[in-house]
Amino acid sequence: MDFSPLTDALASKSYEKIADICDDLMLRVAAQGVAFQDEWPYVIHLLGHIYINDINSARFLWKSIPSAIKDSRPEVSCSMEDRPEAMDMGLWWELYNKRMFQLLLSAYSTISVQDTALFLGMNEDDATYYVQQQGWILDPASRMLTVKKQPIVTEQKLDPSKLQRLTEYVFHLEH
Amino acid sequence: MQSVENLVTQIQGLSSIAADVAALHNHLKAAEDMLRSESTRLLSFLEQLDPSKHSLGYLYFLEPCMYGSITKEQANTLVPVIARFLTSCAAEQIRLASEKFITLCKRFKDQVMLLEAPIRGVGPMLTAVRKIQPSTEHLTTLHPEFLQLCLSAKCYKTGLSVLEDDIYEINQPRDFFLYCYYGGMIFIGQKRFRKALELLHNVVTAPMSTINAIAVEAYKKYILVSLIHHGQFSISLPKYTSSAAQRNLKNFCQPYIELANTYNNGKVAELETYIRSNREKFESDNNLGLVKQVVSSMYKRNIQRLTQTYLTLSLQDIASTVQLNSPKEAEMHVLQMIQDGEIFATINQKDGMVRFLEDPEQYKTCEMIEHIDSSIQRIMALSKKLTAMDELMSCDPLYLAKAGRERQRFDFDDFDPVPQKFTI
Amino acid sequence: MDAEDEHSNSMMEEIYSNGGEESTRSRPIISGEQLDVEAYASLYQGRTKITRLMFIADHCDNASMQMEALRMAYDEIKKGENTQLFREVVKKIDGRLGPNYTMDEGWCDSVDRRAEQRKEKLENELNAYRTNLIKESIRMGYNDFGDFYYAHGALGDAFKSYVRTRDYCTTSKHIIHMCMSAILVSIEMGQFTHVTSYVSKAEQTPEALEPVTIAKLRCAAGLAHLESKKYKLAARKFLEVAPDLGNSYNEVIAAQDVATYGGLCALASFDRAELKSKVIDNVNFRNFLELVPEVRELINDFYSSRYASCLDYLGNLKANLLLDIHLHDHVETLYDQIRNKALIQYTHPFVSVDLHMMANAFKTTVAGLEKELEALITDNQIQARIDSHNKILYARHADQRNATFQRVLQTGKEFDQDVRAMLLRANLLKHEYNLRASRKL
Repeated sequence: MDFSPLTDALASKSYEKIADICDDLMLRVAAQGVAFQDEWPYVIHLLGHIYINDINSARFLWKSIPSAIKDSRPEVSCSMEDRPEAMDMGLWWELYNKRMFQLLLSAYSTISVQDTALFLGMNEDDATYYVQQQGWILDPASRMLTVKKQPIVTEQKLDPSKLQRLTEYVFHLEH
Repeated sequence: MQSVENLVTQIQGLSSIAADVAALHNHLKAAEDMLRSESTRLLSFLEQLDPSKHSLGYLYFLEPCMYGSITKEQANTLVPVIARFLTSCAAEQIRLASEKFITLCKRFKDQVMLLEAPIRGVGPMLTAVRKIQPSTEHLTTLHPEFLQLCLSAKCYKTGLSVLEDDIYEINQPRDFFLYCYYGGMIFIGQKRFRKALELLHNVVTAPMSTINAIAVEAYKKYILVSLIHHGQFSISLPKYTSSAAQRNLKNFCQPYIELANTYNNGKVAELETYIRSNREKFESDNNLGLVKQVVSSMYKRNIQRLTQTYLTLSLQDIASTVQLNSPKEAEMHVLQMIQDGEIFATINQKDGMVRFLEDPEQYKTCEMIEHIDSSIQRIMALSKKLTAMDELMSCDPLYLAKAGRERQRFDFDDFDPVPQKFTI
Repeated sequence: MDAEDEHSNSMMEEIYSNGGEESTRSRPIISGEQLDVEAYASLYQGRTKITRLMFIADHCDNASMQMEALRMAYDEIKKGENTQLFREVVKKIDGRLGPNYTMDEGWCDSVDRRAEQRKEKLENELNAYRTNLIKESIRMGYNDFGDFYYAHGALGDAFKSYVRTRDYCTTSKHIIHMCMSAILVSIEMGQFTHVTSYVSKAEQTPEALEPVTIAKLRCAAGLAHLESKKYKLAARKFLEVAPDLGNSYNEVIAAQDVATYGGLCALASFDRAELKSKVIDNVNFRNFLELVPEVRELINDFYSSRYASCLDYLGNLKANLLLDIHLHDHVETLYDQIRNKALIQYTHPFVSVDLHMMANAFKTTVAGLEKELEALITDNQIQARIDSHNKILYARHADQRNATFQRVLQTGKEFDQDVRAMLLRANLLKHEYNLRASRKL
């Protein structure tokens, strides 16, 4: 099996491409009749789906893994905390944290230290430090954190060509 | 009568330019009976042919090898050969013998299924679909075959690649029914319920003279997905639905209709009781997973309703209103819904309260303008298509003859005209 | 039966002359206090008096009231000729009123025997009229048959006989008489679609109707709308009843009922402006409301936003209204609608409302109020959202611009999907048709 597109993507940290590369590669080797399952980098493939938030594809991939492999290769059945060497797990981890933090930021106005630590996958001290860096405020008595909302910046400047096009539509509708 | 060897030589010589290939096709057609009688030794000649250059000949040699029953061993030899052929063959050549090509592909699918390795067929079949299709608007017999392989191999995402195309041209109604049914299942798997509903709706409302099993199964799933996606289900079918479907569908789907009725009462406990007592029916239809999603959608629906009513509400009250066991469970549901963008809210753990917010979308971002713009473009293109079709049809002598005959029998109301306001 | 039995006395006089002793006259008959069955029954005459009494007996949970109602029904029935009703009331009494209120076979036999003879006589008469082809006599013959059947409780036959007079009517007065008889029997039978159609027949007669007839027809139409739960239409009809009615229609309805039915239906279905112009400022209707001061008060309370007092009156009246043969099935619905209207009206002028204060005004708990408001908001009857944390209701103002964008995108999506589906169906039909055409070739 030629894994070079995958290793290239990993080397260049193009993690968003991993899922497609793996899917494509898997279909190709399967068509050639190669018994790929035993050597397949399932963990990377799964993480590739999760990286682009495609939980459904991750779920179906997981379902398609033969049970013999789930049994013989324990790392496949482990959750995200396991760190396969092929991927820079630090970076991956950072992404996961960022996503979790964004979720907490949007979903909570106050949250306990305990839950924050649980969601971020850190111990309570690390978690508290991490969110305090982002301006959250700790009430030591109740062990509650007050979330500091960040203003969401979106591009609102209208491209003049768009305006031109909209004018054309209106013209079109009126005639 | 030609010998196989002669034919190989002709194939090698007549495969490069279109005129030659046409002539070759005549030779091949004439040799069909001979090839069938020689089917046992054809495989060995394939080595002398290049599937990408001699595609038509290759097809004529390969196809007879599929006749009769195939053992697992034979399939093991054949599958890689066909896979390579499908992947590398020249589209313009195989389209000359599209029926043969389709037969080959169907047998190919049978063989990978026989080997219990559907994933081996997914890639080649996708290529085959693309090669046989005159355009992406054409539905082929291979579409449902491909989608079925995707479902068996759990390659749902790959299935999406053909489902994203808008299909308009149909040769076989059966292809269409299966395409929509399997397509619906793939969208369900990807949790893209709106698209799933669209495809299943197409099956249920398609013109049909008698009811068929695909429509019945599609209707069952349609009911469930309606509940998951819209939180409601309307028993009435649109008026353009065939009378065969209008008359019969409900009788075949009674447990599902009752499920929808129970859902409408909004009580999770009642719904769960009903499902428990009808579990076997749903299980034997392979719909139990979907039925379970119906239950969890009810929690969502009930929470969503609260967002319309309350500005703030305690987690305790949410739990008791939507019949969850604890405030913590309610918090997890709310969190999940915030994450999925289904509600806008913030949780205040300190006071055990949730504050529901308005949709922050202001329809001002460039992204949104872009989205609206592309919607308008799309709709204008569709309208043009509709007008073109309308013109084509109103000039069609067959249609005019029929319409003239039936004018007395129908009112204008019986048809579904395009509303004037939509014509862009 | 003579439906045209007219009284020229004013309504107020009639009410007093109907009352029993002095003490019952001093207070209204329909009120929040326990129903005075005797005074109530005195408002009616004929069959409705009996059926109303039996209805009370069937629905009240007070044993002595039940016995009194049955006793009065027994006495009333015995004045007439309906042995079927008699057997029914005896069965209900079941010996509980002593030896004077038991089965009287002798009475039944003699009534039935007389009825047989009378029927024979009527048949002979009618046959004679028919041979002689005298229109007016035939009409009278059928009318007598109607009266006969009505008195004996054969309502279906009575209805048929009255309706049969139609072909022999020669004047508008005849037609009106036929209609009034058909309406009376239909009300007794609970056939309110007939009521509606004979009311409109009567109204279509070319001659001007007498004011009292118009008033009766309004009452009948009001009852028909009430039965079909069209409360707004019912209210309008009752509000149009002129005071000329007096107690002239007491074989169907009392003036007090016009006030109660009309008042409650109006409260449940009218908006503020209509309530003011059609009820409160309605001089005619004020006469009726004077007979039921509590209904008058609660309407005024509602209009002046004194909801607690309004709800108090309603609460007190409820038990008695539930004993009313026509209102019984509608009390809960009307009450719910009135309460909802009050809740909506209360929140309407405010940007924010303190739920504690509102709960006080509506005599409920904050939690209970939240549930009620929740239902009204879900139903889009109140545009607001509840801050359950601070117990405040905030008015909500929809953002027109956002809503428009949302709707446009939604419409676009639906159009997209519908057009594609339509094109597909058209192609399938074309395919099928081509296939059939090619088979024929």
